[in-house]
Amino acid sequence: MTGRDDPVPPDAAAATGARAPAAARKVALVANCLLNQNAKVCEGANYRGVVSPVVAALRSRGYVLQQLPCPELAFAGARRWWAVYEQYDTPAYRDHCRRLAQAVAPLIEGYLRAGDEVILIGLDGSPSTGVRFTSSAPDWGGRPNRPEDDWQILPRPGIWIEELQAELARRGLPPLPATGWALDMGRFDEAGSRRDLEEFLDRRARAGAGPDNGAASP
Amino acid sequence: MSADARGWRVALLPEALINPRDPACQALPDVLAVLESAGYGLLQLPPPGAHRLLLAVIADQVAEYAHHGYAVVALGLRGEAGEGLHWRPLSALLRRRGVALPPRHLIRAQGDAAAEAGRLADFLTGYDLPAEERRRWRTSPQEER
Repeated sequence: MTGRDDPVPPDAAAATGARAPAAARKVALVANCLLNQNAKVCEGANYRGVVSPVVAALRSRGYVLQQLPCPELAFAGARRWWAVYEQYDTPAYRDHCRRLAQAVAPLIEGYLRAGDEVILIGLDGSPSTGVRFTSSAPDWGGRPNRPEDDWQILPRPGIWIEELQAELARRGLPPLPATGWALDMGRFDEAGSRRDLEEFLDRRARAGAGPDNGAASP
Repeated sequence: MSADARGWRVALLPEALINPRDPACQALPDVLAVLESAGYGLLQLPPPGAHRLLLAVIADQVAEYAHHGYAVVALGLRGEAGEGLHWRPLSALLRRRGVALPPRHLIRAQGDAAAEAGRLADFLTGYDLPAEERRRWRTSPQEER
């Protein structure tokens, strides 16, 4: 994932009946669980429902919210255990994520072709929704045994984010500037996560939301 | 990762209530703030238009919640087509998944925002699953062992 932000050709925007540039919006695609902590794995919810610091940071900067589907909930269910990248890295799960990406991509394409600024806020450390980081333990399997089980954090996106960005690329759309709320990195630091998110958003604002200011590099 | 803070309650919410189109012309309550106070998460419905695949994906998620001890409600916007909830197609999708239609609460865009917020808070806090259902589902798997 890069911060490259190639503009969608304006003629394409005109062809889809896009709004005038003055009406362009700032749209934040947000991980499902950032608006609904009920989507988290068993024992993984840090809030009752809405993760209000994320909502406040985005709304105060003029972003409208577009919630993404939760790939894990619809695949492994509401009572699933936690897992790492390698456990979800299966053909069936990637097919499922592609189906979800195809469901939400027309909305995202519409925003981009209308000239809207679109960013992605994922969930760092998640095997699915991680943006800068995901969780890894190639030998995990069988009954979970926390806290004894150990896992690593790797600087790469989760599977859902990989498949979503791939679907957007298939449609000729640029990679989305993205970052992650660091909820699944082990010990959760809300103040640090908030600072991190606000720096990402403010960096974009200072740079005029241009092409290369949203890199999702770790 | 031992304590779990989830509220076990989810609200279906129209795009127009999450991102009011013209706040100056509408007297809408801050629905997200009310949801947060009441301990609800939300599932966002798409804006008006045809979103067949996305509605099916949302219905899958609602079914998962409804079948596993979560209280699900729907908050509509009075005057919007399908109340902003794509109610007709969504209802059909939920029925096909064996899900009872969630109770609905409609919000008026042109009313008194504070009064609407109060009505909404009363509706949200007043709704939950029966005690037996809550006991059945709302214990962590570790506690069950």
